[in-house]
Amino acid sequence: MSSNDLSLPAPGRDLRLLFGIALAAAACLAPFLLGNYALHALIIALIFLLPAHGLNLLVGYTGLLSLAQAAFFGIGAYTSALMAVRFGTPFYLNFVAAGLLAGAIALPLGIPALRLRATSFVMCTLGFVIIGQAIAKNWISLTRGDMGLSGIPKPYFALGPASFTVSGTASFYYLVLVIAAMATVAVLLIVRSAAGRNMIAIRENETLAESVGIPTWRYKLVVFMISAAFAGLGGSVYAHYLTVVSPLTFQMYYSTTMLIIVLGGGAGTISGVVFGSLLFVGLSEALRIAPEVRMIAYGLCLLALVFWFPKGFAPLIDRFWSFLKERK
Amino acid sequence: MLTMIAEQIVNGIVSGSVYAIVAVGMTMIFGVLRAINFAHGEYYMLGTFGAWFAIEYLELPYPVALVIGVIATAVIAVVVGKFVMQRIVGAPPETGVLATLGIALVLQNTVILMFGGGYKFFSGGYIEPVSIFGFTLAEQRVLIIIVCILVFVGLEVIVTYSRIGKAMRAVSQNIECCAVVGIDVPQVALRTFILGACLAALSGVLTAPVNVSVYGGMGEIITFKTLPVIIMGGLGNVRGTFFAAMILGIAESLVATYVGLQFRDTVGFATLMLVLMWRPHGLFSMQARF
Repeated sequence: MSSNDLSLPAPGRDLRLLFGIALAAAACLAPFLLGNYALHALIIALIFLLPAHGLNLLVGYTGLLSLAQAAFFGIGAYTSALMAVRFGTPFYLNFVAAGLLAGAIALPLGIPALRLRATSFVMCTLGFVIIGQAIAKNWISLTRGDMGLSGIPKPYFALGPASFTVSGTASFYYLVLVIAAMATVAVLLIVRSAAGRNMIAIRENETLAESVGIPTWRYKLVVFMISAAFAGLGGSVYAHYLTVVSPLTFQMYYSTTMLIIVLGGGAGTISGVVFGSLLFVGLSEALRIAPEVRMIAYGLCLLALVFWFPKGFAPLIDRFWSFLKERK
Repeated sequence: MLTMIAEQIVNGIVSGSVYAIVAVGMTMIFGVLRAINFAHGEYYMLGTFGAWFAIEYLELPYPVALVIGVIATAVIAVVVGKFVMQRIVGAPPETGVLATLGIALVLQNTVILMFGGGYKFFSGGYIEPVSIFGFTLAEQRVLIIIVCILVFVGLEVIVTYSRIGKAMRAVSQNIECCAVVGIDVPQVALRTFILGACLAALSGVLTAPVNVSVYGGMGEIITFKTLPVIIMGGLGNVRGTFFAAMILGIAESLVATYVGLQFRDTVGFATLMLVLMWRPHGLFSMQARF
């Protein structure tokens, strides 16, 4: 940042509030402005925002590169799907259970994994995804194996006597929008708190953080669990949106997509991750017509991103933000 | 019973040899670039496709196709190395992960776009059975074991005695000091990368007659199988990689026979996690270097 505090107060009004209102209005009006397919892409982007927020806490704030998100995403999806199909429980129960279970499973996995150093940790987290997929494929009595679980009901709420079902694309969009907004606020609160600053301290220098009394081991473990819980929540919404889950929910491709959202958008920034999920998931859904070309374009985008925008889009967003603030 | 176990172990040694040849390239690339090459299996796939193309379209015999497969991969590796891998030297670890993932996507889908995503039949190689020490094996499998031994002896000699081998070891120890004493680090990185890619391609062409089918997505599985091998062997450790690959190959073949074929592909990562809990630096490294 430049020495803004020395310069004279800039002419013109602070446009940040106005921009925020415009963005919120656009988000609320999206179903009326967009076609069905674009709305679908937007829903997927918002669903992926949840695991991406979790991963951002891990990669961007605590400095642990992980590929495990798809495993917890899958656990969340299966938990939610099984509860809905077997017991017919309402959506909010499945949703909370998916998050809690994913977070709880992260504890026994995190204890051995977090003892490892950088590269080994990455490989170990990749292993969770591969083993998760194998379990989903082979525990046939529970998961029906490769056939997957189908007929997962659309989100249905029951509070006392009143109950309603979220069925259309537009109403599903509003549901996801609310969930994504709540998740964003939650992450913002975590990051702004003292715990968030401790996480950044661990990212910058773990030994130093330890020496000033931050319990680094406990922090890393808790952040790993929180990030898994976010992934589980995302998986739950995903299962209810697509109404089917299969072992392919545990795929490496999802982990890399989430990693790309975080690193491409800007690790360690909230706005960057939101922007990244809209850009990368939206873009890749839009290119779905030609799958091979889509993947090639995706790969080339990755390379361009790595070498031309090594910090992701965060610097651009920063500049835009200060432009709104100062308007010089 | 005992002969059956022995047979499975021999089979395991064959697949272990395949993994070893691929993994040793990956581990050497890691040593020099400090980057996990997530695209490494794709060079295995490219080599196989090169050879398949030579046999199917140019109607060349298998040995010539083998050379063509490896050379085609080398050419692609030069391009990728020049434009991407050289830039990874000294970059943060995320850069390596994302860049190589990007390359994997591009290579794999370009091949699928050109040749279609379906399975192709690989005709060629030496599939006549021979009998050695009471075991009946396809000639190709014997060839794989022999080539694997030759590759490792050759690499041991190169890494220990040749100029480029010494430079590789030096770069894997300390990049700044190498630059100070005048070692051309990007050049060493490029050559290591091309060598690694060619070894992967060689392994691919050697395995193709055994696996029979060739398809665009085959590289990904190989990448996922070699990743645990290089970690278990200790990153950058050539000898460790050899033994880790053999352990994985034998474990896989025993699990496939006695536990169930569907669990074969998880053996690698399951073993890796157990090993890492017990020895966080891998089986064959005294201390963590990376």
